[in-house]
Amino acid sequence: MTRIIGIASTALLAVSCLVAAQGRGGQAPSPASQRPPQTATPQTYTAEEIQAGRVRFASECGFCHGRDAAGGETGPDLTRSDLVAADLRGDRISGVVRNGVPQKGMPSFDLSAADLGAIVAFIHDQKANADTLGGGRRSVDVADLQTGNAEEGQKYFSGAGKCSSCHSADGDLAGIGNRFQGLALLQRMLNPRSGRPAPAPAKVLVTLPSGEKIVGPLVSRDEFSITMTDTSGARRSWQVGEAEFTVDDPLSAHYDQLGKYTDANMRNVFAYLQTLR
Amino acid sequence: MRFLYGLILVIGLAALALAQGVTPAAMLKPSADVWLTYHGDYTGKRHSTLSQITPANVTQLKEIWRFQAGQQQIKGTPILVDGVIYITSPDNLWAIDARTAQELWHYTHPRNNAFHIGHRGVAVYKDSVYLTTPDAHLIAFNAKDGKMKWDVIIADARKGYWSTNAPLVVGNHVMVGVSGDFDNLPGQLKSIDADTGKTQWIFYSTPPPGVSEPQSGGATGGQMWMTGTYDPELNLVYVGTGNPTPVLNGPVRPGDNPWTCSIVALNPDTGKLVWGFQVSPHDTHDWDAAEVPVLVDGDFNGTPRKMVMQASRNGYFFVLDRTNGKNLLTKPFAAVNWAKEIDKDGRPIPDPAKEPSRDGVLVAPDESGGTNYRSPSFDPATGLFIVSAHDSYGVYFFKPDHGAYGWAGADYGVGGRSFLRAIDYKTEAIVWSHSIGDGAGSAGVLTTATGLTFTGDLPGNLMALRTSDGTTLWHAPIGRVGNSPITYQLDGKQFLVVGAGSSLVAFALP
Repeated sequence: MTRIIGIASTALLAVSCLVAAQGRGGQAPSPASQRPPQTATPQTYTAEEIQAGRVRFASECGFCHGRDAAGGETGPDLTRSDLVAADLRGDRISGVVRNGVPQKGMPSFDLSAADLGAIVAFIHDQKANADTLGGGRRSVDVADLQTGNAEEGQKYFSGAGKCSSCHSADGDLAGIGNRFQGLALLQRMLNPRSGRPAPAPAKVLVTLPSGEKIVGPLVSRDEFSITMTDTSGARRSWQVGEAEFTVDDPLSAHYDQLGKYTDANMRNVFAYLQTLR
Repeated sequence: MRFLYGLILVIGLAALALAQGVTPAAMLKPSADVWLTYHGDYTGKRHSTLSQITPANVTQLKEIWRFQAGQQQIKGTPILVDGVIYITSPDNLWAIDARTAQELWHYTHPRNNAFHIGHRGVAVYKDSVYLTTPDAHLIAFNAKDGKMKWDVIIADARKGYWSTNAPLVVGNHVMVGVSGDFDNLPGQLKSIDADTGKTQWIFYSTPPPGVSEPQSGGATGGQMWMTGTYDPELNLVYVGTGNPTPVLNGPVRPGDNPWTCSIVALNPDTGKLVWGFQVSPHDTHDWDAAEVPVLVDGDFNGTPRKMVMQASRNGYFFVLDRTNGKNLLTKPFAAVNWAKEIDKDGRPIPDPAKEPSRDGVLVAPDESGGTNYRSPSFDPATGLFIVSAHDSYGVYFFKPDHGAYGWAGADYGVGGRSFLRAIDYKTEAIVWSHSIGDGAGSAGVLTTATGLTFTGDLPGNLMALRTSDGTTLWHAPIGRVGNSPITYQLDGKQFLVVGAGSSLVAFALP
């Protein structure tokens, strides 16, 4: 019986690969498919660790990441996280928990080694569960997002949306439909900063009182100062008034566009981007 | 002999006053050397009449002390009474000397499994300090030494309730709210007897278990997790209620879902609803109307009015007549695209096309809202209502697979920028808008009688702005401010106290 199921599923797999290959115009399967990233190193945890972790996770992390780790009020779905997939027994998760991610609003947590270990166990267990189930209850599937019209999307892209003033289908966006799919593609389209990998930062041109000009990627900026990385890789900061700066941030056009899209425009452009394979 | 009796009488009265601690009279007219309630006074204006720190000398402010309060970001307001500051984080309460930040006592609540997302602070009355805990207890302590007087359960944490609430005290009523968005739970505000810990009344914003009220549409939720305000003349308490549950699944709970996402006026002696105004009928975007209902007395269109003002999480600014809840003004103060109209009663009516859908809708604001629990401030001299606003967008999804329990949907923020905005309620204009960075702000606002506005930006600067035009006068890079600043005067010196990350920091002139 087991063997028969094995053979049947192999046959199914072969068919689905064929369909997938045809769907992608014969290209190799993309590295960023709709499936969540796979756990790099298999690891096992005891039922006690997982149960202890479930309780601690719900208490410390559940508000933002959901009590099931599949995403909550502000925190991402950890079962689909690249960092969790790459983690081995907390070697990556621990640092994030202990230090926080202040720029994304995640605070640091001062947890005991036992609590942290249990939380790591629970996250990995939830990831394994989610992989088996094909996603958490808050999933958005690729099939959900197929209500747009690609032709209309292309018109908006080159016309009213002015997307083509920065992008081109056979330039920077060539193959974008292979690199991102579903929700990840939609988020990337609406605001590249809300997804991963992180896009290139804005560029800063600093003019010192001496007339010397320095160009480099922006690190941070507020009302009072600016920090950038110079050509040697060193970070440099100036207070407002010490130098003149010009920031070139083409991605800010994505934020401006959020106030202009109709839902139909958004779905149509998404449909169009899916065709760029 | 008569002199001696007189002396004894005076000493006796002083001792009595000391034993009485914080009286109702003191709470109605707080003196300069205290900060007795979450908002500083019952009006919620977060405005101080202190005048030592001015636009001319604000650049000389110096850090006086810094108190490390555990590891979690401080989101609460410190309470100051008798030269002692009470500051909290989830499961923790510290009493510290307001002059030196020396720790006097520290309470740690037993480890528990409720949400530990933040804590808003304590309440004080007579000689007691009242603390809510993540697992929804209310504990009364002796203010002097931290000795526990009583510990009562206000809601069942096992069902999914938790509390971050700074209680509101009116007379001997300690009014306590809870949270609970991840489960379908009725919204409840409980009044507890300040002396005994006994429950006096419970106000339900959505029907309690076992009670059928067809007009609710089957909604639960509407939690009152923020501290309300109080008008002693009308004897009314004003509280903002949270969003309905299930959160993003609207079809399963048809109708307006009263009294979720509302400002409600309650009688503090009975807990009875006197009036309600729904700022978001049938919310499907998690926009709690829990933000501070600020009480302002002033002219509206030339007529003197008792008003309540709220900059709500749904992106609209509301002015109501607080005697009867009638709407005077509804106006956006942040990016919004979700309402199809403002109805005859002044309520924004949701556009059905912006309800969460299977294929996603792009909505302004995002789930964190046009603003949130960070306090606004009203400056009486300029008539400006100053609020930390967030122009933001999110994509909201719902499909039947998401179910009808708790969140029941999915949503993702895709970008936001924050501004401190000054609203003139008389002209309906935003008089100035001061950029404070990308993302959602976390700092509240304090204004003072010298025309100063204190707040924090997103990169982590504490700032003083000129209230009239929003110009920056001073800043200090102290770390992300996660609470709303307070000020008081001790030994003739005005202090400014604010949370920076997990530290509490005091500034004063040299």
